[in-house]
Amino acid sequence: MTRFKTLHILNKPPEHARYRLCLSAIGPQDGLLLTENGVLAITQPLAINKERCFALAPDLEARGLLSHVSSDQIASFDDMVDLTALAENVISW
Amino acid sequence: MSTLIIIDQPPYGSWEGREALDMAFSLAAFDQPVSLLFCGAGVNWLRKGQDATTIQQKSVERNLAAAPVFGVEALLADNKACDHYGLTEEDLLDPVSITDFGPELTSRFDHVAFAG
Amino acid sequence: MTDTLMPERNNEGFLENAEHWSPKVAEIIARDDGIDLLKNHWEIISFLREFYKQHEMSPPSNRLFVKAVKEAFGEAKGNSIYLMQLFPGTPAKTACRIAGLPRPTNCL
Repeated sequence: MTRFKTLHILNKPPEHARYRLCLSAIGPQDGLLLTENGVLAITQPLAINKERCFALAPDLEARGLLSHVSSDQIASFDDMVDLTALAENVISW
Repeated sequence: MSTLIIIDQPPYGSWEGREALDMAFSLAAFDQPVSLLFCGAGVNWLRKGQDATTIQQKSVERNLAAAPVFGVEALLADNKACDHYGLTEEDLLDPVSITDFGPELTSRFDHVAFAG
Repeated sequence: MTDTLMPERNNEGFLENAEHWSPKVAEIIARDDGIDLLKNHWEIISFLREFYKQHEMSPPSNRLFVKAVKEAFGEAKGNSIYLMQLFPGTPAKTACRIAGLPRPTNCL
């Protein structure tokens, strides 16, 4: 698994001001983990490498979005813990 | 260990920003390096000439002016947001510096936090 | 001084309105705490009054009170021992109460 400089955990929907703020703070060595309403981002064009972008399974499932994401991008709670551990820093937006 | 606290909510309409300010002051009280960054509608905290008497609140401008006294290291304003709200350097409180928001800025801090 | 001259105070003895303060009021509140106000007390009280005018708030905690005093008067006065001797208990609370300011928000 890739190591991240910063893992950005985003739980805001695309219309939220902090959603845009988060996307503008993602550096080339960073990762993005979408949770809660943040998973709606996977229906939008995202300027981030798919290998660095993940979405939390229960939140995707709840919103009927599991089939919208490739399986590599789907993160369980255990994966979330691993992702956090792989990052030097974590920012919760 | 340095912390950047981001205020992206406008003043007076909600308490989140004041909570963020309180977080910053508390870190400063324990001599932890802390800076405040104002983004989005949050830059409206920084406009000179606020008077909140008639809405029965305290002026965030005056509250913020205490930040350097308490040891908050820097007050930063996002360049784009200032443009968006028509704020130039002269419109902003004295200790504020305008900066560009992005990964370079956030990676200078060990922690980045919000209130609300 | 009769009750009519004493401005309204809350259950912890803080003035409801900082504007209603006067040096006379300060002396009465201080007497409740068994403090006779001397020059060194007045120096801090004036400083707090000015701080409140500038910042529309009391220093939120005791540590920040000490920091603000240190910023204004230096190490010799900006330390908790000096301030505790002047304003026993929690210095920020005692001093703000005497200065007619709101209760510091983060003091227990």
